[in-house]
Amino acid sequence: MEMLSVLNPFNSLPLASLEVGHHFYWQLGNLKLHGQVFLTSWFVIGILVVASLAATRNIQRIPNGIQNFMEYALEFIRDLAKNQIGEKEYRPWVPFIGTLFLFIFVSNWSGALIPWRLIKLPEGELAAPTNDINTTVALALLTSLAYFYAGFSKKGLRYFTKYIEPTPILLPIAILEDFTKPLSLSFRLFGNILADELVVAVLVLLVPLFVPLPVMALGLFTSAIQALVFATLAAAYIHEALEGHGEAEHGEHMP
Amino acid sequence: MFDFDATLPLMAVQFLLLAALLNAIFYKPLTKVLDERDNYVRTNKLEAQERLTKTEQLTNQYKQQLAEARKQSQAVITSAQTEAQKIAAEKVAEAQKEAQSQREQAQREIDQQKQEAMSSLEQQVDALSQQIIEKLLEPAHG
Repeated sequence: MEMLSVLNPFNSLPLASLEVGHHFYWQLGNLKLHGQVFLTSWFVIGILVVASLAATRNIQRIPNGIQNFMEYALEFIRDLAKNQIGEKEYRPWVPFIGTLFLFIFVSNWSGALIPWRLIKLPEGELAAPTNDINTTVALALLTSLAYFYAGFSKKGLRYFTKYIEPTPILLPIAILEDFTKPLSLSFRLFGNILADELVVAVLVLLVPLFVPLPVMALGLFTSAIQALVFATLAAAYIHEALEGHGEAEHGEHMP
Repeated sequence: MFDFDATLPLMAVQFLLLAALLNAIFYKPLTKVLDERDNYVRTNKLEAQERLTKTEQLTNQYKQQLAEARKQSQAVITSAQTEAQKIAAEKVAEAQKEAQSQREQAQREIDQQKQEAMSSLEQQVDALSQQIIEKLLEPAHG
């Protein structure tokens, strides 16, 4: 990606530089952290916490303002979880799935709407937390853990019978599925967000005015869709683990 | 691009903390509010339905009462009318009877007077016939 910045003769604009693979490293003991990811994720967390506190500070029966908005968000999340997991079991999973959705959604939109690049870091650049593979893999692995936990807590060791339940011939595929699920979840999100930011950045490099706007709008759209897809798939996997065999095809063909 | 390091587990932990925090300050209170509101709306709706049925019952009751009252008033009117007719008929009959009796009495008086007149006439006839006989016989004696 350095090549692009070399190609651009007007590299003076701070908006129009591209840096992928450069990180603002923090050292924690002998562990390396991507500081820029944490900075933006704290910003996202801050937004969520402030919005939640503002919504629940003065709860009224007839909601208005921020409470109404957050209730709308909550009902959206509850509907999502209810549709995927089912009326009976969705309630304990609302916080997990909802936080997945809200965190990814706010992350994506913060990456698309806030000109992070205006804030200079010593190295690397600020962007949506979800365009770092570490974040998406962390979320995807948590989803895997969540559906394993769901299956075990519901059925105990009989959960393993789902691997051989219709027929043992599918055992390798069933095992493979447990690896492809987090892999596809994380790479779908990472790829979409990173690609979107790269496309916008490249277009801004080439034609700085007006032309990138439709792509940015499309970026907003895909960002929202990706958050929805991630949360929906997580809920679908949890539902699958709760229900057992037979519904393995549930929601596997999302973009 | 694919450099994994300690960001991954820390992000996972951070996410779990966020989920727990949001559960405490967002999901739980707002879910409670939503459920409470659902309950409120449901109970209110039930109450309203109950009231509506009660109102309908009352309306029916009142309608029945009204119909009954109408029927009663009709009955009262009818009975009053029949009574009035009866009274009128009685009065007429009484008057007729009285007239009849008065006429009978008058007839009777007339009859009596006629009788008296007849008897007095008879006496006079007797006397006159005596006188005629005397007059006729007088020249013979004479």
